Amino acid sequence: MSALENCWSHCLATLEERLGADQFRIWIRPLVAEANGDALSLIVPNQIFLQFIRDRYMGLIEEAATTFFNGEPPSIELKVGSAARKAPPPQTPAAPAQPASARPAIQSFAPSAPPAARPALAAAAANHETTRLNPNFTFETLVTGKANQLARAAAEQVAENPGVSYNPLFVYGGVGLGKTHLIQAIGNLVHQRNPQTKIRYIHAEKYVADVVKAYQHKAFDEFKRYYHSLDLLLIDDIQFFVGKDKTQEEFFYAFNALVEAHKQIIITSDRYPKEIDGLQERLTSRFSWGLTVAIEPPELEMRVAILMKKAERENFKLDSTVAFFVAKNIRSNVRELEGALKRVLAYARFTNQPLTLEAAKEALRDILAAGNRQISVENIQKTVADYYKIKVADMHSKKRTRDIARPRQIAMALTKELTQMSLPAVGEAFGGRDHTTVLHACRTIEDLRQNDTELAHQYGVLLQMLRS
Amino acid sequence: MPPLMQQLVLDLQLPAPPSFEGFVRGDNAEPLFMLGEWLAGAEDVRFLYLWGEAGVGKSYLLAAAAARCGGTVIQPPAALPDTLSGDEALIVDGVDTLGAEQQIRLFDHYNTLREGRGRLLASGRLPPMLLPLRDDLTTRLGWGLVYQLKALSDADKVAALKQRAVALGFDLSDDAAEYLLRHATRDLPALNAVLERANVHALSLRRPVTVPLLREVLGVGREEGKAGREEGRGKREG
Repeated sequence: MSALENCWSHCLATLEERLGADQFRIWIRPLVAEANGDALSLIVPNQIFLQFIRDRYMGLIEEAATTFFNGEPPSIELKVGSAARKAPPPQTPAAPAQPASARPAIQSFAPSAPPAARPALAAAAANHETTRLNPNFTFETLVTGKANQLARAAAEQVAENPGVSYNPLFVYGGVGLGKTHLIQAIGNLVHQRNPQTKIRYIHAEKYVADVVKAYQHKAFDEFKRYYHSLDLLLIDDIQFFVGKDKTQEEFFYAFNALVEAHKQIIITSDRYPKEIDGLQERLTSRFSWGLTVAIEPPELEMRVAILMKKAERENFKLDSTVAFFVAKNIRSNVRELEGALKRVLAYARFTNQPLTLEAAKEALRDILAAGNRQISVENIQKTVADYYKIKVADMHSKKRTRDIARPRQIAMALTKELTQMSLPAVGEAFGGRDHTTVLHACRTIEDLRQNDTELAHQYGVLLQMLRS
Repeated sequence: MPPLMQQLVLDLQLPAPPSFEGFVRGDNAEPLFMLGEWLAGAEDVRFLYLWGEAGVGKSYLLAAAAARCGGTVIQPPAALPDTLSGDEALIVDGVDTLGAEQQIRLFDHYNTLREGRGRLLASGRLPPMLLPLRDDLTTRLGWGLVYQLKALSDADKVAALKQRAVALGFDLSDDAAEYLLRHATRDLPALNAVLERANVHALSLRRPVTVPLLREVLGVGREEGKAGREEGRGKREG
């Protein structure tokens, strides 16, 4: 094997580790490396692919190659060519086509069912019914990217050691970002390993209804017995408890009983626990006993990966250019993204035509027209001011205190990201500031988003609010 | 020459029963096809949301779908059912007018239907993401197939009016159809309403539906038309 071939193998290993299985499989695996004298040529399937690799992954590839050659990397060029590998064939959830190394390590602990164990399997299936878990929501079907990798890691750890590592696990994030999928993946893995574990997934709204029913039928003892006997309670959208005092009281007792007995509780919400107005303080303070993790809106690469994976599950071979187009235009949440994919697939079925980029554009025309409302600078200023509870006038004022200057910088960065305004025009809209002030604000916010998770989350929330 | 007697017309014009055959599809071929798939229970089209401005035919299509599958359309402020089994088909018209409590109920029903093998057909004036409803509901409505129902072109409206006229028992001339489009409110339910009034007026006078008659109908208005009928009835009784 030549040094360049070894170098490419090293790059692949590094990128697989850095990017996660899905992004690696979609973007990096199709590349074919060729030695070209002292240079390394990477052959990509098409021009859009090339641009995407150059913009997003070239830095990482060069970094890995530099490490391999101890600081003197070969020159690396990208070329479009037919030698590039075809995208992997569609896979079914039952027979994942991922390499073993790309699967989460914890999967190897899954008990295999011997043919003789059919009655046990049937019992497990019946038991699974009582969990109310959706069997399709697993770690294998969960696409991971920057937006949810921390939450996934925490979830896997909880699934490894329920009741021990983080209790409760509190997952929060905007609607349609995959919170339910993530927590149900924990439930499904715990069930898979030990079907005897008493698991219950429940939406908070249903829990409220259960409390009301127990109250009406004077059946609180039974209610308590049931919830206090669980090994794993997954409760979704806890913000539905707001204003429901009796429910909060019952949940408080259930929470204490379960945590004291080292039984795992997993909670989701659309907000950070302390931001849920109307939830008793004794509950929100308990929620912070364990680990609180956020799920952010998916970034472009992750959105593409979600579409490719979803299409694979539907046994449809989705062209990467089409996936890229849809992902670039539908940005707010995963449900909307999946809805757009359904629409594109339906269009192909209806017209009986192959799904080309043109067809995808045609299919999504009305969705895009509806979504392409201009986001105005005034709208951004008002949204940010409301969010940070400052006056809109402060967006234009000369005040430089941190509690006003920071939101103003965030609003400037959002304006640059969401509108086509020139930087001088942005400066003008923010009280006649110079364009260099805008540039400074954008850089500051960019840095803070890398290093300050709370600010990064707030920025993500604002982006989602403005886009949806 | 004796004065022309007005014919008594029982003002009990039954609305045309909604049917897919009676719907002029215009640019809506794809949503209609998917509605057919929804009715057939296609796995890919379990959740279908149709949106569009008033008068494009949302309620009509939902009613036609309900008639076809033997279900009912829930139209707020009518309440959604308290409980629902996971394999039912739920049809809800005008979700944009759901109150806070009903939004939670629809959210709940959506989850139940999705967890089971149920189906939802819903409509509203706006695309899901712009609906003034809870985010967790709008994102769910946007999770399934979403189509905008587009208003008919003028040519399609003429075709629809002629079709409706035949159902009422007369032929509508090109001139008369053109006149209606120029002078009446131009959404199809409004145009059909004028056509139905013109039909009653024409029958009462035993005259064909022509441009002058339409002019009378549009100019005279409903109240005076009623008065005219009262007068006719009085004459007959006398």
